[in-house]
Amino acid sequence: MLANVRNLSKQFGRNAVLSDVSFSVREGEVLGLIGPNGSGKTTLFECLAGLLPCDSGAVDFRGEPLKPARRKEALFYMPDGIRPWPDQTVAWALDFFARMWRRPAGDTAQAWGLAPLARSRIGALSKGELKRTLLALALLTPQPLLLLDEPFDGLDFRQTREAMALLRGRPLDEGRTLLVSIHQLTDAARVSDRLVLLSRGRVVAEGSPAELHPLEEVFLALT
Amino acid sequence: MRSLRALAGKEWRELLASRSFWLLLAIVGPLTGHAFITAVESYAEMSGAAGAPAALPQGLTPLDGIFVPAFGAYDLAITLLFPFVAIRLVASEKESGALKLMLQSPAGLPAMMAAKGVVLAAGWALAWLPGLAAVALWRIYGGHVYAPELLNLLAGHALRFVLSAGVAVAAAAVAPGAASAAIATLAFTVGTWALDFVAMARGGVLQQIAAYTPAAALRGFEQGQLRAGAAAVTLLVGLAGFAFAAVWISPESHRRRLRNTAIVAAAAGAAVWSAALMRPSWDLSENRRNSFPRADEQALRRIGAPLRVTVNLAAEDPRLTDLERNILAKLDRVLPSVRVEYAARTRSGLFEGDRYGEIWYEFNGHKAMNRSTTEPIVLDTLYSLAGVAAPNRGGEPDYPGYPLNARPTGATLLYYLFWPAAVIGAGWLHFRYRS
Repeated sequence: MLANVRNLSKQFGRNAVLSDVSFSVREGEVLGLIGPNGSGKTTLFECLAGLLPCDSGAVDFRGEPLKPARRKEALFYMPDGIRPWPDQTVAWALDFFARMWRRPAGDTAQAWGLAPLARSRIGALSKGELKRTLLALALLTPQPLLLLDEPFDGLDFRQTREAMALLRGRPLDEGRTLLVSIHQLTDAARVSDRLVLLSRGRVVAEGSPAELHPLEEVFLALT
Repeated sequence: MRSLRALAGKEWRELLASRSFWLLLAIVGPLTGHAFITAVESYAEMSGAAGAPAALPQGLTPLDGIFVPAFGAYDLAITLLFPFVAIRLVASEKESGALKLMLQSPAGLPAMMAAKGVVLAAGWALAWLPGLAAVALWRIYGGHVYAPELLNLLAGHALRFVLSAGVAVAAAAVAPGAASAAIATLAFTVGTWALDFVAMARGGVLQQIAAYTPAAALRGFEQGQLRAGAAAVTLLVGLAGFAFAAVWISPESHRRRLRNTAIVAAAAGAAVWSAALMRPSWDLSENRRNSFPRADEQALRRIGAPLRVTVNLAAEDPRLTDLERNILAKLDRVLPSVRVEYAARTRSGLFEGDRYGEIWYEFNGHKAMNRSTTEPIVLDTLYSLAGVAAPNRGGEPDYPGYPLNARPTGATLLYYLFWPAAVIGAGWLHFRYRS
């Protein structure tokens, strides 16, 4: 087991966004986090990454408790809906990540179809271009566990297929593990080895796409 | 070290991407130029331009006549323009979501804040080029430069930068957006102005606190004085601003953040309190305006006893300002201890009674009173009170003064044409060809 999330809870005022969330992440898998809008997926990711203090609960990494301040050693979280450094170019952002995390940038730009955008300002990218840039940046980090919030949001059908192939390709070959939140159930079933269904801040189902088949009906019944 | 270099590189690019920074650079040239050109022309008039007789040459000091007004433009820029540049460096990362990525980077918060501080200092150093050009032009015109007082003035402006950067960065970290941060920073500045104003009228503790406001601290440097206490307080408050920013940027719970804020505030408060107690000060002015004549200083040092002064003058009485500036501040630098008590109970001094205006001096239980605020008279009172012979003050050479009847040749072109054109051109090239 790579990571074990135990009884994570988070409240905003009186509103409980996460309630005793527990699940496990296996080494080298793609774990899909699905749930309706407002179910707490992003909050869960931010709590896991240590960017948002949770009220209670713990995260074990390879059997050892991992405090929030040290989470960045084990996992990297790429949020959805951000447009970092809008005045800088794509090439600079890739180079900066490679230098910060001391990883070779290699053919990352090529693989994600970013070479023609290298001199484009991040602020001027389309939603799909931005998403591919963010995914490329995430894959430049070395942490064993990657948390990707809505990695296919903004991508068209072809790009989604390509992104899935890229995510399931080299990162898994390198032994990395992915935890991805996806609101499109078909995409989730296609890319994930297992799924965790979150509803109103609680884990309501966990299993492989085959075990949760038909996913749409399970989703409607439990959320 | 490598990640710190990468961080500094990122901050530098972000600074150059900021239009407010280019605007600051473009404006600071004409602002400094106007101050410098006006100062050189006024100095020439005082030095006897247009056939008029020269003013008293002893009164013509390049520090007061040229450098303080020329660099005064930077006080304006650091107060009203620079905070927007510093705020952007923090607020844009918060607003764009880049901060969430940076908080997961191998670089810690101290390194992130240090990189921002270093880059802001480098940017501000670029903005100093017109000021340094003014010094160079003054030399070319044949003007006199006394390095210690000029360097002291530059140190004052450098400390003013640290304070301003610290306040702006802290405001940007705490406030939800750049606009709120700008309002908070300006509120701080206006607050210190108000404190200056109120303290002038009320005196007492308020006046002691007001001695450390940015304007008051800079005033000391502009007078050629280097006060260790004021310098340390300014530096510490600025650094505390960066520490506050680190606390508020860190992804902690609200309770923990408040606790850390209290810890930083307590540590900064204790450090500032200790710094404020530092008494060493140096008079780096060439005309020794902050010092008694050397013979008097030697005689006063021989007394070696603490002095207690009871002043019965109200805060609004101009004699009190004379006494503090011409006597007490100078005494404080040569006697082991000077304790001042203010006996007047009103602000204006009206209806204070017969004893109003009395100034009592006390050495080792011996007291003497006079009402004068004139330097030799007060010194003679102190010598007789301490039983020390008054020294012969005749041997010290007078400050010669440095009149210069020069025209600000080339300054108009440099500041109003070349500098703005160079900044606009460099900015255009940067935005056009950035990679």
